[in-house]
Amino acid sequence: MSVVRTVTVLLAMATLAACTDTQETRGFAGLAAAVDNDSAHEFLQPGPGDLLSFPDDLGPHPQHRIEWWYLTANLKTADGKPLGLQWTQFRQAIKPRPAGSPAPPAENWPLDAAWMAHAAVSFDGQHRFAERLARGDVGHAGAQAEPLQVWLDDWQLSETEAGEVWHLRVQAGGWGYDLQLANIGERVAHGDNGFSAKSFDGQGSMYFSLTDLQISGVVTMNGKTHRVQGKGWFDREWSSQLLKTGQQGWDWFALHLDDGHKLMAFRLREDDHDFLSASWITPDGKLTTLGPDQISLLGEGWRNSENGRVPERFQLRIPEIGVDVQVSAPEGDYWNAGLYPYWESPVTVEGSHTGVGYMELTGYGK
Amino acid sequence: MIVKAMTSHYQRHPLQLLALALMIVVATMLWTGVSVLTGQARESLAVSEQAVAAREAVVRADGQPVSVADFVILRRAGVCVAPWLEASRSASAGRVIGIDPLAMACFDAPPVGAGNGELDGDPFVDISAVAGDSVQAEHPGQLSLLISPGTAPLPEGYERRAFRLGPATGELADSFLLNLDALSLLVLFITGLLVRSVYHLGLAQRRSSFALLRRFGVLEGQIQRLLAAELTILTLVCVVPGVWLGQALANRLGQGFGLALDSLFDLSLYAGDGSPLPWRAAMVMVALVLGVCLVDRLMPRRPAPGGGSSRWQALSIRLWVPTAVAGFVMVFWAGSLVWVFAGTALVFVGVGGLMPGILAGCADAMARRQPQSAASPLGRWRYRELAVMFRNLALPVVALQFAMATVLAVQALVTSFEETFDQWLAQRLSAELYVEVPEGASADAGARALATLGGLGDWHRVSRGKAEVRGSSGDGEAVTTDLMALAPISTLVTGWSLLAAVNEPWAALSFGGVMVNEQLARRSGVALGQMLLIELGGEPLEARVVGVYADYGRPSAEILLHGSVLPEGFAPSFQSFSLNPGARSVDDISRRLTSVWQVADLVIRDNASIQALAGQVFQQTFLLTRAISVLTLVLASLSLLVMGWVFFSTRNWYFQLLGVWGVPPAAVRGQLRRLALLLVSGVTLVALPLGIWLTWVLVSRINPLAFGWSLPMAVYPGFWMELGAVMAVIGLVIAWLIGRQLAGQTSLRPDASLAGGGER
Repeated sequence: MSVVRTVTVLLAMATLAACTDTQETRGFAGLAAAVDNDSAHEFLQPGPGDLLSFPDDLGPHPQHRIEWWYLTANLKTADGKPLGLQWTQFRQAIKPRPAGSPAPPAENWPLDAAWMAHAAVSFDGQHRFAERLARGDVGHAGAQAEPLQVWLDDWQLSETEAGEVWHLRVQAGGWGYDLQLANIGERVAHGDNGFSAKSFDGQGSMYFSLTDLQISGVVTMNGKTHRVQGKGWFDREWSSQLLKTGQQGWDWFALHLDDGHKLMAFRLREDDHDFLSASWITPDGKLTTLGPDQISLLGEGWRNSENGRVPERFQLRIPEIGVDVQVSAPEGDYWNAGLYPYWESPVTVEGSHTGVGYMELTGYGK
Repeated sequence: MIVKAMTSHYQRHPLQLLALALMIVVATMLWTGVSVLTGQARESLAVSEQAVAAREAVVRADGQPVSVADFVILRRAGVCVAPWLEASRSASAGRVIGIDPLAMACFDAPPVGAGNGELDGDPFVDISAVAGDSVQAEHPGQLSLLISPGTAPLPEGYERRAFRLGPATGELADSFLLNLDALSLLVLFITGLLVRSVYHLGLAQRRSSFALLRRFGVLEGQIQRLLAAELTILTLVCVVPGVWLGQALANRLGQGFGLALDSLFDLSLYAGDGSPLPWRAAMVMVALVLGVCLVDRLMPRRPAPGGGSSRWQALSIRLWVPTAVAGFVMVFWAGSLVWVFAGTALVFVGVGGLMPGILAGCADAMARRQPQSAASPLGRWRYRELAVMFRNLALPVVALQFAMATVLAVQALVTSFEETFDQWLAQRLSAELYVEVPEGASADAGARALATLGGLGDWHRVSRGKAEVRGSSGDGEAVTTDLMALAPISTLVTGWSLLAAVNEPWAALSFGGVMVNEQLARRSGVALGQMLLIELGGEPLEARVVGVYADYGRPSAEILLHGSVLPEGFAPSFQSFSLNPGARSVDDISRRLTSVWQVADLVIRDNASIQALAGQVFQQTFLLTRAISVLTLVLASLSLLVMGWVFFSTRNWYFQLLGVWGVPPAAVRGQLRRLALLLVSGVTLVALPLGIWLTWVLVSRINPLAFGWSLPMAVYPGFWMELGAVMAVIGLVIAWLIGRQLAGQTSLRPDASLAGGGER
């Protein structure tokens, strides 16, 4: 979800790189342009009835305009302190590549696609964030399905030789992490067997998650190396249209509840009626998809921060499954201050259920 | 009414107004043109220097050029490295730099132009536009990989180097631009003299009008203000087309100028947006014209220099002689270009101050030496009249002398350069054919094939690459030089004229010696007999300098070795064979080599095409210099024509006296022709030594500092004669014009004023 906003970064970066075309710049200025732009027709557009395919869908989708590999984790250090962690890699196509077509030669420094990676660590009231950018098809950024490899420079998510564990390595200025990720659950295909609607008009994306990741490893920050372990949530999503005109931003949550349930919920904010969706996953992996009429999400209070104010907490109610919780971020400022800032923070859950998770907010701030 | 009275002078003398206007227009055009070109070049220098400020480049330790694959390896290793690809578009559009803004995002401070999203070809473009299918580049440039100096240690196989856009020739390029600036300053100086002289001549002619106005009650201050306003308007009106023409001149010469910078200094003239009209140059011109014409209003009156005042002559000698001597000394001993220019300026000032007096003195002396025969009064009259002219036409005479000296010197420089270059090129391109060794082909196999090809003429193999050179003590910074290795040594090279050499230099080279080009010898102080430590492909080599060879037309330092000393690990960047076919046909040779190398086609160039290309480059190189000097001469000649005509006109009364004394009209016209010819001959004669001296300054002092190599001193009397003929034509035209005036009108006795020609 975080993607939509961040994809703008890619769009803008791509525009920067190809910036002789001012027409294109105007077209990419807002997220809605992704829908309204005529060139969207050249890209393959997901729709209801589309199915997931594995392992291919772990890899890139050159026929689609945007996609991302997205990890959030709620970890604990050896002395029990909570530590939040994010790693995301985005791909933004400038032009679609038909299935089976070869990539352009790297010697031409092609700009058919741009890549962006974000990494963040939130610990002890501090938030560290780093951003990397690259053009596609040159070789220093890319992704492949089998064995899974997603990389940008020396940041890399890779499947180990054994195949059951992933290795994630990130090194930014003065901090970084080196983690092992083991998936112990089933893949969750959100929405209609993987097609996740994003508006009442039917726009949407293909979206699946690995919600049961056991993570262990080390995180280095402020000159100290912390051994960590905990839970992670991995999203794969791709589309060629995402937001429709009028949508202002979104609030997205991925929650691990203490009773073993997992909940993904998002709201796309619009003037007259927000679009909401949620996935409720039982401890044994059963999925319930919930629609706009079944969910209530309200921001309460405001937190002032360097990049503007964001809701202090959220009240999330889904009566059908007995969820009535307050979701709030710890004290601190959790803006990912890249080219286009957005809020990405670990959260705690209180109320009918307790737990931890991650929250992403876009469209707020200055 | 007053204004009408003021302007009536130019209504009566429209040609004088036209001449004044033309001078300002042409001078503005020259000044503007040079200012635009040098300004653009300096901006290019600044852009490239700023863009790579505090950057280093990553190079491969094995000496091979870096590629996209190296970029990927470095980025995957966590090194913040960004590509930089320079390429030329069309010849007139300048060079562009392809960058990857996404890769550059990891720098704390992106290079200028890369971080503001403005990839508009000014000069930055997205790298895909330079390298990809949408290439507009005619010659894709070499890829560089930039890093910040503080970057962590590089992976094995890579090294860091200071990032330069070419060889370290910034100072040379700056000197070249300074050279042009100096030339245009000289144009300004000459223009100032000419404009001042024409304007003051006009003023002298208008004194009676001013006196009349004063008698009608017009205040002196009002007249002065009107004169200042008149000159200001005239200047502004003339400067505008001058600036426009200057811009057009710069656009016309820009292509050649860019080519010159590229070939001489490896300095790329980057693409830029259309520069705004150079109003600063225009303001300089306005200030110059107003300054030289109105400066007298601001200065206290001083004794007139004419009239042979012994006190003034003594003062002149005390002032100008030391100035000129100081200038000569300064030029001789100066170690930098600025001081050479300063010394040259002092010489010009000193000579300019002395020359009118010397010329007038000579004319007076000639008058005194005329025999006391029946014909002698006319002879005496002629030389006395000439003396008067030299004194009263001092400014245009000096200006013309300077202009002629400049033209003589520039012509000598250009011609000697062309001749030297032709000879040098003939030596360097003594083979008839040049065959490139294809990528991946074995040059050794090619050499073996040629060695066994019966009937083939002389040939040698050329290997090019890079080397690092330092003195044998190992101290000091290593200099990266081009490398040329030849084997076998044949008559194709043994005929080279070397600037300095040991006995049997080619034999010494075959036995492990090294030759260096003049650029390396001058820049690094490498001398004959010196031992050099040379690193080739990671292998050290010690060699004695056995010769210094001329290497015109490029700034790079180069060493020449025998091919047999190249170590195994040395990977040449380019290899070719130079050969004379002898009894073999080109097809024979081509067939043999294509068969050995298993390739379909070969790149074979013939001598003539290479010579033509090189000649074209050097024509362009001096196009600008030549254009400036010729236009200056046109300016000065035009001025002399107008001034001479006007001044002769003011002497009409005296010329008419010749008729009164009984000299027939045809004889009067004859005297006028002789007088005019004497005038221009005198100027030409005094311009010659100054021109020869200036030639020496250009080839022996300025050229090594500005270009990095020297030229032999040569003079061209044939050109002196041509220039003298042009001057003679101007003199004859003046005499013809005056002769017509004498025949057609009765002139008034002029005022007894200095500039009005009133000296008797």
